[in-house]
Amino acid sequence: MYTLIHAAMGYFLLLLIVRVLTRRPGAQMTQFEFVIVFLIGGVIILSTVGNDRSVTNCTCAVMLVGLLHRSVTWLKAKSPRLGAIIDGTPLVLMKHGEWQEEVMQGMKVAPEDVMAAARARGIRSVEQIDYAVLERNGAISVIKKEDTAA
Amino acid sequence: MADERTMAHPVEDSVPQVDNAVAVGEDLAFQHRWWRFEKGIWIFFGLILLADALGVFGRGLLAKAERRAADGTMWVKYERVERANTPSIMTIHFDPSAVHNGTVRLFVSESVVKQLGAQRVIPQPQSSTLSADGVTYSFLTSGGASTVEIALEPSFAGVQDFRVQVEGAAAVRGRVAVVP
Repeated sequence: MYTLIHAAMGYFLLLLIVRVLTRRPGAQMTQFEFVIVFLIGGVIILSTVGNDRSVTNCTCAVMLVGLLHRSVTWLKAKSPRLGAIIDGTPLVLMKHGEWQEEVMQGMKVAPEDVMAAARARGIRSVEQIDYAVLERNGAISVIKKEDTAA
Repeated sequence: MADERTMAHPVEDSVPQVDNAVAVGEDLAFQHRWWRFEKGIWIFFGLILLADALGVFGRGLLAKAERRAADGTMWVKYERVERANTPSIMTIHFDPSAVHNGTVRLFVSESVVKQLGAQRVIPQPQSSTLSADGVTYSFLTSGGASTVEIALEPSFAGVQDFRVQVEGAAAVRGRVAVVP
């Protein structure tokens, strides 16, 4: 019983912490961010299973976390507002070739991050970018200016 | 049939556009509120960590407590905030006046043994006598001041009142909050 309560608390606590860590853990994950993910996960697991490391206990905890995750996913699909709270909304980093400084600073995204996404699309310089969007999953989408050759 | 369904529900671009050009679904007003929330939550986390470092949640300066019996026969050092499934020590110091015929008889309430999870008593008592509301331990001593330690490890969260007392002397009462 306590394991289930701890697992539920751990799930929602992790959800909150990963969410307020800004959007970089995800598609933009670096080795630096792997440290956070593994350390937080490792610490939470200790309090979740406690002294009862039986297969029954661990299996029930995993099933509960799976059920919670499925329920949250269902609720996100039903409520766009909840989806925005849990995943955030896409944010425009560059509009008509101009950096959106407030968003860049707020999301702690560097121009180098945008250029990394741009290079993956074969774009060579920042002048060729029309729009850059930070997506909900942390990826950066880049739209090339129409009059620019690839 | 499939065509009818398609006609009944034509595809609509419901995602808000930027500059009427790119369907992004950006909501800057929401994002501003979220940034304010983020700032608040990190301040809250900071305060929680500060409280933890000070011992508000146990194992720190503010968690340590000390009580002395009114007649001076004993004094008890314990943690007023314990953590579930985490060991701690309750230390009981006896004044020479607590010793009678080379023996100290110490009563501890049931809450110390059960709810606060007494794991062992150091040194091992010569005898233990069960009663309705606790256990009385007997220790042989050569006289002078002496100390007994009780290793605690509560299993569950809650608030527990306890009483320890040298038989026939004034009691020391305390309260321990066990956090999860």
